[in-house]
Amino acid sequence: MQKKIIIIFCISIFLLAFHYTENVTFFVPKNWPQPVYDFTKNPLTKNKIELGRALFYDPLLSRNNTISCASCHSQYSAFTHSDHALSHGIDDSIGNRNSLALMNLAWQKLFMWDGAVNHLDVQALAPIHNKLEMDENIANVVTKLQNLKLYKFLFYKAYNDSNITGERTLKALSQFMLTLVSSNSKYDSVMRKQTQFTKQEGNGYTLFKKNCASCHTEPLFTNNQFMNNGLPLDSALNDYGRYTVTKNANDSLKFKVPTLRNIEFSHPYMHDGRFKKLSHVLNHYTKGVVKNKTLGIELQNEVNLSSNEKVDIIAFLLTLSDKKFLFNPEFSYPKNSFQTAKD
Amino acid sequence: MQILKYNWFFYFVLMLNYLKAQTNSTIQFYFTYNSKPLTISDSTLPLLDSNGLQISNLKFYCSNIQFLKNKKVIVEEKNSFHLVDASNSSSQKINVAITSKLLFDELKFNLGIDSIANVSGALGGDLDQTKGMYWTWQSGYINFKIEGKSKQCNSRNNEFQFHLGGYTQPNYCLETLIFSLADKSLIDINVDVKKIIDQLKLQEQTKIMSPSKDAVLLSKKISTCFEILK
Repeated sequence: MQKKIIIIFCISIFLLAFHYTENVTFFVPKNWPQPVYDFTKNPLTKNKIELGRALFYDPLLSRNNTISCASCHSQYSAFTHSDHALSHGIDDSIGNRNSLALMNLAWQKLFMWDGAVNHLDVQALAPIHNKLEMDENIANVVTKLQNLKLYKFLFYKAYNDSNITGERTLKALSQFMLTLVSSNSKYDSVMRKQTQFTKQEGNGYTLFKKNCASCHTEPLFTNNQFMNNGLPLDSALNDYGRYTVTKNANDSLKFKVPTLRNIEFSHPYMHDGRFKKLSHVLNHYTKGVVKNKTLGIELQNEVNLSSNEKVDIIAFLLTLSDKKFLFNPEFSYPKNSFQTAKD
Repeated sequence: MQILKYNWFFYFVLMLNYLKAQTNSTIQFYFTYNSKPLTISDSTLPLLDSNGLQISNLKFYCSNIQFLKNKKVIVEEKNSFHLVDASNSSSQKINVAITSKLLFDELKFNLGIDSIANVSGALGGDLDQTKGMYWTWQSGYINFKIEGKSKQCNSRNNEFQFHLGGYTQPNYCLETLIFSLADKSLIDINVDVKKIIDQLKLQEQTKIMSPSKDAVLLSKKISTCFEILK
């Protein structure tokens, strides 16, 4: 009798252990706020993340199977579209905005430059359906997935049955995107007292805290708000940002305050990619701000920075680069998953 | 001793079953145009009036069904969302489990999706984003959708498209429908499509495709086009 109990006990411990290795605990870096994303509704597991990663890199999500999420969000440029002011999508169509860098998405409540998307799960629907981006339809994507052995297998692994739905597809994509956490830059090491800024970086940090941090707030380097930062309107695009969503005049010309993490790699800058270099961005803040009704209070008074001070701020901004993030093999093209399809 | 124990349990379960005897109440939606059943299928669509009116798509969400007695909720279907589609007869029938011996005198449900579900990310069942009732460039469910053609429409191919939704004020589009009715297990609700078309005023406008004041006003008008069949 006792023997039996011991055996059952051992088996259950084994099963429990197996169960726990499948679940992935979301790591919140020290001194960071709690994430906004509700993980209880979509608990991370190894297999769901793997599925989401395959979907992220699969051009099947587009009408003619040419454009994947990664086409405009490539890892080496902090998951944005390097070198293109306006991102281009299907059939070389040029979009209206510069794709946003993807990182630390669990801490974001609203998505896109204008906050049109209210939840990470439904974010992917926008590029999938956009005529200039992927020009596809989520129902059609699901049908395509259902016809592929690879996804029958990956969905089975992730959900214990091979039923492929829109909900599961979107939630798996979220799972992968949630893992894109950047918290290992030199700045982070300095905050953890593992290393020190150079004199120039330290000076830049002091200037940054005085002039930039009210919007680009630590540790995420964004206050997650929508602000008018004084960019003159591009009359070819006529993009009024948040106003197009809320139709509220107070939101005219307001755009998402983007994170500055990995800013060294996510050029060009601004919602329309109008600035190629960080020095251009700083010159805008000192000399180019256009005053109008919705301009952020933070920019009402002129920002004064000498050219040496600008160089110091840029030196500090470069400490926000996170090589571990940019070259993390867990975020790259999932060769192995796609290989299983051929086997 | 053992058998006695199980007997006890058996009676207990039996008693519970008796107390909780469930019956189903069925809500059945009918779509009619000039009192004739409206059919939407893949084959040629019937012409409904002298302007060549054709309806190719008519869908809406029915959610948060409640049965009331003396204004008190006695049965409530929580977190339930039904996509009712004029082209799919099985979607037009909704069964709600009701404990027998509970009498109701009022039925209440929402036409559309509440603001909480609208900010809850990817959802399943009838709320799955593949159902064609979700905006993609801007988050939010479409509560009510009607599409078709009419010579009254001054638009490309004489087409009209009305996608009504919006989950934030001042453009919150959710309508609550309340019907007084005698307690019965089969509740027939007619959707008067002629009345809906009349509300659209096709000669003046042929589309609404985003949350707006117009969408709120039209949703209110459309909510009056549902009636209990006696």
